[in-house]
Amino acid sequence: MMTEPHIFQAFDRDLEAVQALIMKMGGMVEAAILDAAQALETRDEELAEQVRRNDAAIDALEERIQAEAARLIALRSPTATDLRTVLTVIKIAAALERCGDYAKNLAKRSVVLGQLAQVGDSTGSIRRMANAVELLLKDALDSYIHRDAQLAADVRQRDREVDQMYNALFREFLTHMMEDPRNITACMHLHFIAKNIERMGDHATSIAEQVIYLVTGNLPEEPRPKADMTASSIGMPAQGAD
Amino acid sequence: MDDIRYADRIVSADEVKIAARKAQVYYGTNHALRDVDVDILGKTVTAFIGPSGCGKSTFLRCLNRMNDTIPGCRVEGKITLDGQDIYDARVDPVQLRAKVGMVFQKPNPFPKSIYDNVAYGPRIHGLARSKAEIDEIVESALRRAALWNEAKDRLSSPGTGLSGGQQQRLCIARAIATSPEVLLMDEPCSALDPIATAQIEELIDELRAQFSVVIVTHSMQQAARVSQRTAFFHLGRLVEYGETGQIFTNPRDPRTESYISGRIG
Repeated sequence: MMTEPHIFQAFDRDLEAVQALIMKMGGMVEAAILDAAQALETRDEELAEQVRRNDAAIDALEERIQAEAARLIALRSPTATDLRTVLTVIKIAAALERCGDYAKNLAKRSVVLGQLAQVGDSTGSIRRMANAVELLLKDALDSYIHRDAQLAADVRQRDREVDQMYNALFREFLTHMMEDPRNITACMHLHFIAKNIERMGDHATSIAEQVIYLVTGNLPEEPRPKADMTASSIGMPAQGAD
Repeated sequence: MDDIRYADRIVSADEVKIAARKAQVYYGTNHALRDVDVDILGKTVTAFIGPSGCGKSTFLRCLNRMNDTIPGCRVEGKITLDGQDIYDARVDPVQLRAKVGMVFQKPNPFPKSIYDNVAYGPRIHGLARSKAEIDEIVESALRRAALWNEAKDRLSSPGTGLSGGQQQRLCIARAIATSPEVLLMDEPCSALDPIATAQIEELIDELRAQFSVVIVTHSMQQAARVSQRTAFFHLGRLVEYGETGQIFTNPRDPRTESYISGRIG
């Protein structure tokens, strides 16, 4: 990685400023994920409302990052690592923005679920899954700021754990729905939440892949490890159980 | 990285026009260029970039033996054009320079008419037998240099009366009038405004259909825009040579990266 400064120092200031925005956005998205999951578990409508309101700020930050990146390209004609930095900034901001939307959606559904009966300990499982994803996202962003391709590769591998948590929840929800059809409404919402958290894991992975591109100049070649089996399973709990 | 511009005109990476092996240049005791190995491809624009004093212009001038005229300058190693050693004692440097033309930083038209500027080369090299043939060469060279429309009604007025950008295109017309195989350009746009620069760049891109063009430039963006291959020189050495897209997005050598991204290196 290039650590030496540019001769024209305003270039460094521009690059640092746009990356500081990414870190700020990352912090807001991480907080949104944790808060939304907590609002779901503790049935805290006010916290859920706050997550929904904050998403507008996340979206605004993404727009600002895209504008700053466009400006950098137009005014500084970045090359090599500088160019890859700007390209990754654009992609990471888009990935974070999606994660923010999923957190907002989680918060919305938590308000609905607050009016329905609890389904086992599923909200606890969801919170654990959200915690795992938040950690994944945090490590992906750390790998970005430290230009740590090793940590990024590690994040890519660990997305599998989130996929496995999702598989387990998928089966759990099916079981609850078959046991008692009155659980169906809640379980449908819970399933969307779990799926969205699983997608956040995919976005953390794509951030990690951007870091590998930024550091090495190439995207990772080997296919990403996938453990989400639900797309190809017929989902009967008895058959799906391990 | 694949360069989509290759799709326009199929360029064979095997077609080596100029090859240098262990090329060395000394100015007296100063070892200005060391161990340069490079294959310059046919029908390709190759850019030489690097900080001042890095040896890029020195190397460019080796390619048509312009360094011969500098007292105390000595060239070692091997440089071949189509496989033939250009420093061989049997090679006539004047004939060589008809094949390997050159355009300089500052437009330097002869203090003659536009017509005579372009006709000069073909005449001294005996490329035409009649006035009609010379006329034809002049028109064709001026057309290829994108100057014909502006110059056709004033062919007998002095070349020095043209604008800077037109003068540079006149110099290019003069250089291509002898039907060279390689065109060397030493910062051809550094004295020109952006419009004239764009016209020269467009011209370079068109000339690529017929010649190899080797351009020395201090503008990294110009190198990125016009060339398919880029060579980075630093402290008298060729540090990195590769496909231009690769050099500007993912250079392999940290010195190249430092230079092209405007860092201290």
